[in-house]
Amino acid sequence: MQPAVELRELCKSFRVRRPRAGGLGRRLSSLFAPRTEAVPAVDRLSFSIAAGERVAFIGPNGAGKSTTLKLLAGILQPDAGEVRVLGFVPSRQRTELAFQIGTVFGQRSQLWYQLPPRDTFDLLGRVYDIERREHARRIETLTSVFALGSLMNTPVRHLSLGERMRCEIAASLLHSPRMLFLDEPTIGLDVSAKAAIRELLLAESEREGRTLLLTSHDTGDMESVCERVIVIHQGRLLWDDSIGALRKSFLTAKRVTFWSEAERLELMLPGVRVVASGTHRTELEIASDVTPLGQVVDAALRQSSIKDMVIEDAPLDEVIRALYAHAERGCVT
Amino acid sequence: MCHMTLSDVAKHAAYARIAIAQGRRERGELYGRMVFFVVILGVFSSLWRAVGETGLAIAADPKALVWYLAATEWILLSAPQIHIEIQETIRRGDVVYRLGQPASFVMAEFAAGMGAVALRMPVLGAMAFACAFGFTRWTPPLATIALFIPFAVAAVAMLVALHLWIGMLAFWMQDVAPVFWLTQKLMFIFGGLMLPLTLYPAFMQRAAALTPFPVMLFTPASLMRGTGAVRPLILARDLVLWGAAMTAAVQWTYRRAMAGLTVNGG
Repeated sequence: MQPAVELRELCKSFRVRRPRAGGLGRRLSSLFAPRTEAVPAVDRLSFSIAAGERVAFIGPNGAGKSTTLKLLAGILQPDAGEVRVLGFVPSRQRTELAFQIGTVFGQRSQLWYQLPPRDTFDLLGRVYDIERREHARRIETLTSVFALGSLMNTPVRHLSLGERMRCEIAASLLHSPRMLFLDEPTIGLDVSAKAAIRELLLAESEREGRTLLLTSHDTGDMESVCERVIVIHQGRLLWDDSIGALRKSFLTAKRVTFWSEAERLELMLPGVRVVASGTHRTELEIASDVTPLGQVVDAALRQSSIKDMVIEDAPLDEVIRALYAHAERGCVT
Repeated sequence: MCHMTLSDVAKHAAYARIAIAQGRRERGELYGRMVFFVVILGVFSSLWRAVGETGLAIAADPKALVWYLAATEWILLSAPQIHIEIQETIRRGDVVYRLGQPASFVMAEFAAGMGAVALRMPVLGAMAFACAFGFTRWTPPLATIALFIPFAVAAVAMLVALHLWIGMLAFWMQDVAPVFWLTQKLMFIFGGLMLPLTLYPAFMQRAAALTPFPVMLFTPASLMRGTGAVRPLILARDLVLWGAAMTAAVQWTYRRAMAGLTVNGG
């Protein structure tokens, strides 16, 4: 089966102006003959995504995520390498591809601000050549799935950010794209609006078998929606596997909280660090590859009887941070 | 832009329709322009009357001059300031949605601009002619007005294309207002906004003839003066030629902007 997305050795660099050092003459000459330098944004990036997969595409700021998304959508042209999205070459078949993909940019809007979303939906129906009856049917479905109801007839400027985001996603799905690119779809939303968007994305993708490629700095988005994570750093592939595998590989630390009879536990074990403590409560971070968890529990039981205990993985944020730190040290291949 | 299918026409008509819907919700600006019409025509009709009363010779009929001004202002005020909308779309980054859609960005913006024109032009036209009649108690022959209207529509379309071109400069510039300000001033002077170019010194007339501004304001508005100096076929030819030049400039600028985007990022 043909992959939904296939990148091979994709490269893209941008020319950035560099000011000339020196006197006024040199600075003036920069105005007419600016000195530029090629800065790689995407560097020999290769990966593929199967149809129906939900993939998180993450990286620190400036890693090349947005550039990659623009290359996939055909807005930018690659310098070298190959890209195929749903069988199309985006840089040459942008219009044909546009009918097959949808895009959601969390900090941008495609809705006409003074008008109700319905007007933008009608415009998009024309732009995507959707047959009139099919258009009405799609609006009905999306209104019901995304609980748009009265929002459809409320001017966009009166909608909350969460309501607007639901409308934005629905608008991007109007032409039933086979693939959806999402760039920070929950940015700026409150906790409940984020949860609602994540649930909708997951449910919609599962129901329609739609391929998702999601970039986000919010690990909650990837954990809730995606099954696989691709991490890039300085335009290069850093990690490509399941979220579970990422945790296992980069997370040897566990968080353990003890509620003990003794006021305080003092565990002098290698790889064990007290993160927080209070009366009868001790929170530890344990490097389980140094001291296995069982040994820590045994040591705690030797000091005091334990009333309760909670063992947690460190948050995914910390996993990602560890991964970036490894990359900075050049440890990840 | 050259080969348009029925589907393309339907898409651009949809952009025009949504711009009309938007214009109907933003009536404040339209009302403002209507008030401006009353003020400017009131001031100038009083001015020409005062000039006439002092016995100073002016090489034009004061009543025809008021109708000339109504015509130039009608054309100018009917063109929406789409460069501001385009600039904001680019600044906010919303343009990324537009560039990804299966529709020409340039044509969509132009169609939206013409949609706004479709809403404004009839209202402002009625206002212009009513004010001009109110202040002069005179009208040009109906045949003259009927001949003028299609040329006025073509001139407004050229103004929309000019604003579109200015808007696309926002791909490079943070603020296109200085460019707009400069073209407005050139338009006032070389377009003959307040006074027909025939009342200008000869060297100014020669300089104006090298610019597109006279075909946008002076020449079509001169039809209203009924002097017979404007030949409609020549005006139509000039509008087509300048329109083609404007289209080429807009397309070239857009292509340069897209090339810049892919070379310099954004």
